[in-house]
Amino acid sequence: MISLIKATLIASMAVSFQSNEMSLNDVVQKVNPRMVKIYGSGGFKGLPAYGTGVLVSPNGYVLTVANHLMETTDLRVHLYDGTRLPAKLVAMEPELDIALLKIGTEKSKIDDLPFYDIGAAAKAPLANPGTSILAFSNQFQIASRDEPVSVMKGTIAAYARLFGRIGIFEAPYSGNVYVVDAITNNPGAAGGIITNRMGDILGIIGKELRNEQTNTWINYAVPVNAELEVKLADGSARKLSILNLIEKKEAYKPVTKASKSTGGGGYLGIVYVPNVVDRTPPYIEYVEPGSPAQKAGLLPDDLIVYVDGLPVVSVNSLMELMQKYRPQERVQLEIRRGDKLQTISVLVETPPKIQPSKGSETKGN
Amino acid sequence: MGTTLLMLGVVEILLAQNTLEELQEKATQGAVQRISPAMVQIETTGGTEVISAGGGAGPMGKRRPGPAAGPGVRKGTGPTTGVIVSADGFVISSAFNFANKPTSIIVSTTDNKRYLAKVIATDQSRMVTLLKIDATNLPVAESVPSAKMEVGQTVIALGRTLGGSPGAPPSVSMGIVSALGRIWGRAIQTDAKVSPVNYGGPLIDLQGNVLGILVPASPQAEGETAGFEWYDSGIGFAIPLDHINQVLPRLKQGKDLRKGLLGVTMQSRDMYADEVIINSVAPNSAAFKAGIKVADKIIAIDGKKVESHAQLMHQLGPKYEGDIVSLTIVRGKDEIKLDKIELSGSLESPPLGFFGILPMRDDPSKGVQVRYVFPDSGAAKAGIKVGDRILKAGVGPDITKVTATAEVANRDALSNLLSAAVIGSFLAVEVKREDGTTTTLKGPIGQATSFLPEKPPEKSSLAKLDKEPEKKAEIGTIKKQNAAGDRNYWVSVPVSYDPRTSYGLMVWLHPAGKGRDKDLEDLMGTWDQYCAEYKIIIVAPRCDADLGWTPGESDLILEAIRHATDNYTIDRKRVVVHGMGTGGQMAFYLAFQQRELIRGVAAVGASLGATPKERIANQPLSFFLAVGDKDPIRETVLDTAKKLTGFQYPMVLREMKDMGHQYFNSITLDALATWLDLLDRI
Repeated sequence: MISLIKATLIASMAVSFQSNEMSLNDVVQKVNPRMVKIYGSGGFKGLPAYGTGVLVSPNGYVLTVANHLMETTDLRVHLYDGTRLPAKLVAMEPELDIALLKIGTEKSKIDDLPFYDIGAAAKAPLANPGTSILAFSNQFQIASRDEPVSVMKGTIAAYARLFGRIGIFEAPYSGNVYVVDAITNNPGAAGGIITNRMGDILGIIGKELRNEQTNTWINYAVPVNAELEVKLADGSARKLSILNLIEKKEAYKPVTKASKSTGGGGYLGIVYVPNVVDRTPPYIEYVEPGSPAQKAGLLPDDLIVYVDGLPVVSVNSLMELMQKYRPQERVQLEIRRGDKLQTISVLVETPPKIQPSKGSETKGN
Repeated sequence: MGTTLLMLGVVEILLAQNTLEELQEKATQGAVQRISPAMVQIETTGGTEVISAGGGAGPMGKRRPGPAAGPGVRKGTGPTTGVIVSADGFVISSAFNFANKPTSIIVSTTDNKRYLAKVIATDQSRMVTLLKIDATNLPVAESVPSAKMEVGQTVIALGRTLGGSPGAPPSVSMGIVSALGRIWGRAIQTDAKVSPVNYGGPLIDLQGNVLGILVPASPQAEGETAGFEWYDSGIGFAIPLDHINQVLPRLKQGKDLRKGLLGVTMQSRDMYADEVIINSVAPNSAAFKAGIKVADKIIAIDGKKVESHAQLMHQLGPKYEGDIVSLTIVRGKDEIKLDKIELSGSLESPPLGFFGILPMRDDPSKGVQVRYVFPDSGAAKAGIKVGDRILKAGVGPDITKVTATAEVANRDALSNLLSAAVIGSFLAVEVKREDGTTTTLKGPIGQATSFLPEKPPEKSSLAKLDKEPEKKAEIGTIKKQNAAGDRNYWVSVPVSYDPRTSYGLMVWLHPAGKGRDKDLEDLMGTWDQYCAEYKIIIVAPRCDADLGWTPGESDLILEAIRHATDNYTIDRKRVVVHGMGTGGQMAFYLAFQQRELIRGVAAVGASLGATPKERIANQPLSFFLAVGDKDPIRETVLDTAKKLTGFQYPMVLREMKDMGHQYFNSITLDALATWLDLLDRI
């Protein structure tokens, strides 16, 4: 009797095991038909003229990254089976670094392509660091026509804010990303996807970026459930998400963001040591009498190390951080005085009206 | 009841059949959770933007030039990682994380507590740094014994750079142990991705125990940044934690640990040649004190047979200064055992011989005509006068016996003779005086001077300029494009340029953000008079990025130099790199990389981050450092000067009064022009 139960159990669970756990090859077979190869503008200045995309509807909407490829009227897409189709840009959101393309024309209607349901995928929980993943992309244009894209195996290294740089420019997207423990972000890989080991989509592979924190190349993907809240020029806030862009399609309007220094930088009454090297440590040289800094008890030779919890590397980074504050806001400065760390809360004020200074080297705020 | 138990058993069997991936995911996450509390996040304030070039000797001293000892590396602004090694607040990390000399170091534990940290000591052989914070009862990382590590075992590299807060899960990179005993017996090699994202973090096993501390490393070079270029490449290194724990008591005492050196070079340049024969013994080194002599053959160390230089390095690599070794050597027919050799921590290298004259340039006749005699030099003591022509010379240890036997063909011949001479020996020269008489003069050979005398005679060349030159080269200020067509550089040639006289070449490397056409034109304007008077050509490549020079831009600079040497008459003894800020750091880097090309570095407001490289006998390098006395990096420039002097490089240091981080005042410009004019001294 017991042995019978055992046998049945093993049999039934083995079946369910097989249905839940596909082999790697099965997963690849499932994902590949949803991937497309994109050809557009590029081929100069080290920018590739090819990229990767993923189908997000049966009628030919393709999700990819917002990049230079779209700067052409002759945008083309190769499907998994080798079909070549013209494509046009439907919508683009630079803040998310995402673009939506549509393939096919009025005459040649498409309605039965395999695709990822982003709405469903966005509801799945985040993948933790240590999760095994697969990455699919047409890196280095190794595939064309009906050749399948490249598959890589890796791990989620971290779920972290992106501090990316392209040359001297800050990367447009600054939300959280999956950092990937595999060299995924190669030329042409942008717009590819990472999936979990079952082939469920987790994120869109980003561009080739350097991580400002480490000055090294970073491999990352923007999560499919990425959401950002941005401040608009009119002062209101708007939530952005990949899903919203896919749902709105042609009707999607990209945001016009407020310029960065919204706070205008409040007045503290601190003069820092002369800022002459790349990373001048933000030591206080002088505290103006009657200023917010003096009222809060800041002293010359204090070294400012954190502003509201954010680390301060140099006078430059401190100036940048202080830009977002407005008068009557409170800022917590963590300072080093001698061999002690201490927190001092300062109430930011409106700067007093004074004679314009005579171009002194020493800047303050 | 029985059935339930049985069913659980079945479930376990089935779980075991589940994919490897799922099990590995679970094991990974468990191991990471276990080590996480012993991992701290480290943030720094201030310090330099770029960790400049440096590097030092190979493991045996100055023997192997090897590849780059680490390029100037731009330090990221993000936090780094450390591992708690004792409950009373000692944290170990990679020396890379502090190589930019930060003003302030703050350590955050996983419970979001912040502590001011002090650097206690650095293990300069393994490039790990010990920090101390004022805390108690901290969770301590457990180490895996070296003997239990296995090639092929699964490991995880962890870091706290990504993810923001110190309590967030660390970043994860999966791999295996690729090899043990790498970097001459000092490091574990892994294929997990190792980079500034996790330097200083732990390499753990699936139980959450620590195999090692992640560091950049290279078998060919030393220093904080050595091996950085291999980040995320599938080859990464970790220093075994159980080894660090062994030397922890010594580090806690606040003394840096240095690598143990024997102080010898080998005859064969091939590290794997099958005989280890001594070529030179550094003065006062461990080998010197043990009585090792040139031509001795080493056959064993600590009783282990060595058949190649590489085998010797494997044995010596893990050792520290003060460690004791025994050697078996063969001298002639005798086998000699040398016991209790105490390894040195640093080596002296014999400095360059100097007699004290400036030669006339572009001299068509045989011999060397004296243009200038340095006061108090050997030449002055010998009684050499301006206008004398040196025809023969000879070197000897005894002033009474030295004779001028060898003919001196030209300036380079005399210079080579001096560069091989021992300081304290004597030079005899046969000179033809201006009045036609011939006499033999003798004087001591000293050390190349750092002294800047008054201006030498302006007439520096004996070139015959009777007719117009045949080929007209481009003169004035010219903008050039590199061969690839995507970058450019400026060339400034005096209007009075004549290809029959030789010119000094000065490469200007502008500070970050000062590479606009106007900036470069201004610089050339400042130098215009000097270039005509001192016969100098300037090339000024333009840096690509706003943030300043990176090692990758060496090619552009070299192309600009090549353009000058191909198209103009350039005196190879007076090719210098001159730079300010990051340009100055790049100048140091380039000079130490291009020893056969560059003879001098003139740096303004720039410092050398790491240890300088050893001098090379016939590739002399001279330094001219200038810094404003109000420049905040003054201290580090003075430190650089001290280091260079320590390596016995000829070095001129000028502090500019009442100046901050600025370019030269006119006194310093005069001094630099004179310094450049003296580089072909003999």
